[in-house]
Amino acid sequence: MSGEELRSIWRWQITLFAALLLLVIALLGISFGPIHIPFTSILRSFLGMDSHLSEQDRSVLFDIRLPRVILAALVGSALATSGAVYQTVFRNPLADPYLLGAAAGAGLGATIAITNSHGNLYGLLPAFAFSGAILAVVVSFFISGKFFAEPNSLLLSGIAVGSFATAVQTYLQQRHSASLRPVYSWILGELTAASWQVVTWSAIYIGVALIILLIVAKQLDGLMLTDEEAYSLGINPNKIRVIAVIAATLATATAVAASGLIGFVGIVVPHLVRGLTHRVTNRALPTIAITGAAFLVLADLGARTLLSPAELPIGIITAFVGAPFFLFVLRRKRLINQ
Amino acid sequence: MIILENINLTLGNRGILFDVNAEIPDTTWTCLVGPNGAGKTSLLKVILGTSPYSGSATDNSIEIYRNHDRNVAFVPQHPQIPAGMSVAEYVMLGRAKKDGWGTESKSSRNLVADTLKLTGLFGMQSQMISHLSGGEMQRALIARALVQEPDLILLDEPTSALDLHHQIAVLNSIEILKQRGVTIISTMHDITLAAMYADHIIVMQNGRILLSGASAQVVHSPELKSAFDNRINVFTLDSGRPVVMPTKDGLVD
Repeated sequence: MSGEELRSIWRWQITLFAALLLLVIALLGISFGPIHIPFTSILRSFLGMDSHLSEQDRSVLFDIRLPRVILAALVGSALATSGAVYQTVFRNPLADPYLLGAAAGAGLGATIAITNSHGNLYGLLPAFAFSGAILAVVVSFFISGKFFAEPNSLLLSGIAVGSFATAVQTYLQQRHSASLRPVYSWILGELTAASWQVVTWSAIYIGVALIILLIVAKQLDGLMLTDEEAYSLGINPNKIRVIAVIAATLATATAVAASGLIGFVGIVVPHLVRGLTHRVTNRALPTIAITGAAFLVLADLGARTLLSPAELPIGIITAFVGAPFFLFVLRRKRLINQ
Repeated sequence: MIILENINLTLGNRGILFDVNAEIPDTTWTCLVGPNGAGKTSLLKVILGTSPYSGSATDNSIEIYRNHDRNVAFVPQHPQIPAGMSVAEYVMLGRAKKDGWGTESKSSRNLVADTLKLTGLFGMQSQMISHLSGGEMQRALIARALVQEPDLILLDEPTSALDLHHQIAVLNSIEILKQRGVTIISTMHDITLAAMYADHIIVMQNGRILLSGASAQVVHSPELKSAFDNRINVFTLDSGRPVVMPTKDGLVD
């Protein structure tokens, strides 16, 4: 008897394919926009060769396009990976990165920064959004009590904290109606603020979070079983859950602080990768991260070019694709359960 | 050898186990029997190491909660069924401890394929685990425990959801483990089947051990009847095999 007939659980070729896809899409993202930069010029510039680009085009390439594409890739991979991790930890296929009140908390933080009448805090918006997201998650944890004794109680307290934060945010908006527009444009998500400075701090936080998640990812499959089964297979389920949720929340909060609320990436991408490969294993996590990056770079390209020279908020693009997809997943899940 | 001394377990304000003392020899099959709520599953979890207890529970003279290097397989009565996972992936999880999570060796793939054949699941390896019938699911759990190559296997009601045909199939595959030198501890509702397969039987009631000993001896003892409120009768077949039957309330046999 031999195991030749038994295929391996994950093929590295899938990950390689996703990486190549990201490269192609990133190149398109850098090339297209109100000013078109040819592929050959981009490649020549990267390789340090003479690119025949004007000073203005070089500036567009290195100061606007490149940081923007990198930020979109970082945010996309952060949201997709944390979505996949939340779905495993909470055993809920519709869980998303904004689950534990992170989005509403960030929204409240951003609104406070924008509506503050005692001076211009707009520059501190990312810090406020980040703090708001982290604070909301901590409060959710605190209210739910026994951390992971009952994963659903954490979900419910996240919903309650989120509703409360949204209520306070709405109240603040009513009091400062002049600042409604910047608040809304931030809520819909935007990558226009991408600068090397934003890229740098996002890369650090998201990078750390993703490395942690990719390390624990291998053991996340054990969380799909009962805790006793997971323990007998050699992992400490509660430890893995705490590490995974903290890292996923750090990635989410950073993404929100850098680019506002970009919905549905955390649901669409993990389901797309798992659906296409017929694999739920978290060995798919690197592929999900890469695909998330490609997805958001592509969405941003659409946001910049569909109504060019005007720009659509990227959150509208992802929601346009994501909302029907979400309903599709919901319906398919119901069909499976019947 | 597993030695339990004065094990007490309390969850919230409720006492679950009281002064449990037992010795379970290596490479034997021990069956925990008793009515629902007797504490059988809780005792299994103490032996697994996931339940906090007072008293002393040792496996090869090492306190269980301190020892994270044991290779113990656990087959739960109500497994969490991972949506979208294939049978092969599910059984392969049993190799995680040996191969390291997230990788699988070629020899593991061979072992999983062989075990799927042994448990009659070969050919279904690409099917979703959530689409399996009760009997197939139980065999998938046993297959995962087999590829884990454990020293000790704990099974919580491995036959409760199965028809008689599948009960025998599952019990026979557990017996394969015993032949490989694995220590087996299982809970079981059916005392007749327990007496047929297990070397030792421990009878539990209300969180206490009522009696324990060699299977034949326990089945014929009067305490067994009192554990089930005298609602069972024990008959002996011509072959000498005991059969435990429930009595009908109000009827004198």
